[in-house]
Amino acid sequence: MPYSETFKDHLAHPRHVGELPEADVVAEETNPVCGDRLRLSLCLKGELISAARFLAYGCAPTLACGSVLTEMLEGMTRDEAAHITRADLTRALGGLPARKGHAAALAIETLRAALVEIDKQRS
Amino acid sequence: MRRVYLDHSATTPVDPRVVEAMLPYLTEIYGNASSVHHFGQEARAAVDRARHEVAALIGARPNETVFLSGGTEANNLAIRGIAEAAEQHGRHIITSQIEHSAVRGVCDALEKRGWEVTRLPVYDDGIVRVEDVIEALRDDTVLVTVMLANNEIGTIQPVAEIGRLVRERRAAGHRHLWLHTDAVQAAGRIPVGVEALGCDLLSLSAHKLYAPKGVGALYVRRGVRLVTQNVGGHQERERRAGTESVASIVAFGVAAELARTELDARAEHVRRLRDRFERGVAQSIEDVVFNGDAARRLPHLSNISFRYIEGEGLLINLDLQGIAVSTGSACSSGSLEPSPVIRALGRNDELARGSIRFSFGKDNTEEDVDYMLEVLPRAVENLRRLSPLYQRAQAERAACETQPVVAGN
Repeated sequence: MPYSETFKDHLAHPRHVGELPEADVVAEETNPVCGDRLRLSLCLKGELISAARFLAYGCAPTLACGSVLTEMLEGMTRDEAAHITRADLTRALGGLPARKGHAAALAIETLRAALVEIDKQRS
Repeated sequence: MRRVYLDHSATTPVDPRVVEAMLPYLTEIYGNASSVHHFGQEARAAVDRARHEVAALIGARPNETVFLSGGTEANNLAIRGIAEAAEQHGRHIITSQIEHSAVRGVCDALEKRGWEVTRLPVYDDGIVRVEDVIEALRDDTVLVTVMLANNEIGTIQPVAEIGRLVRERRAAGHRHLWLHTDAVQAAGRIPVGVEALGCDLLSLSAHKLYAPKGVGALYVRRGVRLVTQNVGGHQERERRAGTESVASIVAFGVAAELARTELDARAEHVRRLRDRFERGVAQSIEDVVFNGDAARRLPHLSNISFRYIEGEGLLINLDLQGIAVSTGSACSSGSLEPSPVIRALGRNDELARGSIRFSFGKDNTEEDVDYMLEVLPRAVENLRRLSPLYQRAQAERAACETQPVVAGN
């Protein structure tokens, strides 16, 4: 399956690249099999994710997933973010080849780690 | 959008002169080369002419040249054919760690069936050492298979020296020892002569020489016995059954003739473009590693690892700007492991994943290089901006630069 135009656009013009110096939470996860890496930093305003940034090393879908995830996250509440699935990311990118599912999995894993960190801070 | 094709090691466009020569064999001259009638004999004559030209490209005799479907089949026939024919004399094969997957795959398959395989290392220059071949040779070795030039980094292997060694061993009584070389990448790009190489079998593929896909050849030195792999017909002197693809073979013949007569001019042209490209990359992009020995390599090929980024992202970025290249990253090949060739040079996974192969062709221009040098640094920069590895390295550099220098240290 070839990559979609949406996917290519995310790769050519990635959204929300970088790190937030004032981030409330930062999470970084690595895929131990292929070495892909995703770093996510989030700023919160009350319940709302007010800003999201990403850095990524790895194959093209890992970069695109980081881009589309941060795009989705901004403006969401913590609970809404917790409901994002691999399928949501894949759909938002116009589909991913089956063997690239690991990229969406890494993005969701990193998001979950960030949410756990938020919960920890709150408790 | 401007399109720049820099993937000639993957395949080449068919030369219009080749297309013109093959077309009549798809229309009016359609006979089966095995038929006795006029139609068949016309086709037979064309196949014979092509055989003569392909043989001439590698300094072989026409009757030592077997047409088949391409490089992969040539490698299969050579290695399996020898392994099975010489089985009673030994089941040991010597190969290298950087062979094309067609050779690697056949060796792996034989290993599963009980053959022993020694895979010679290459060093950081990407070249096999003859001393390692000497050390690996055993009384039960029946085949040495080492490629003439590598498909990812272009390094030229010392096949002629290995050939001398194999002939000496044979003369000294090791009668069932043969040398095969995969010359798919080398033919048409550097001079290839079977006598100078001293090889017994040599694989060729037409589509790397500006001919169509689906046709290739195996050189089999007179007197070398192979077990035929494709059976069920008398074609190719019983070595490869199946109706000859006459139009493709005609195309291969014309392409081989052009490759032979234009070899020097093509080599000089691509070398000039490649060298200017590499100088430009070295000047405009930091943290790059050039892979493979700079001198002993094919003139058209450049393999560069871009630190901190992954090849597939760069490949797609370049593709979006009209530039076609290849990468050694695992992602684009569908495997989990990045390029075994780059890893064999002693490079780490990050460098293997960030490797890109640029392979020039006879129709590339100086303007193509200009465009590459305009697009590539920007694409690398954009991807590095995303990379946590790059950000970390930059932070570390900045920290080093701000460290006070302590006198006396």
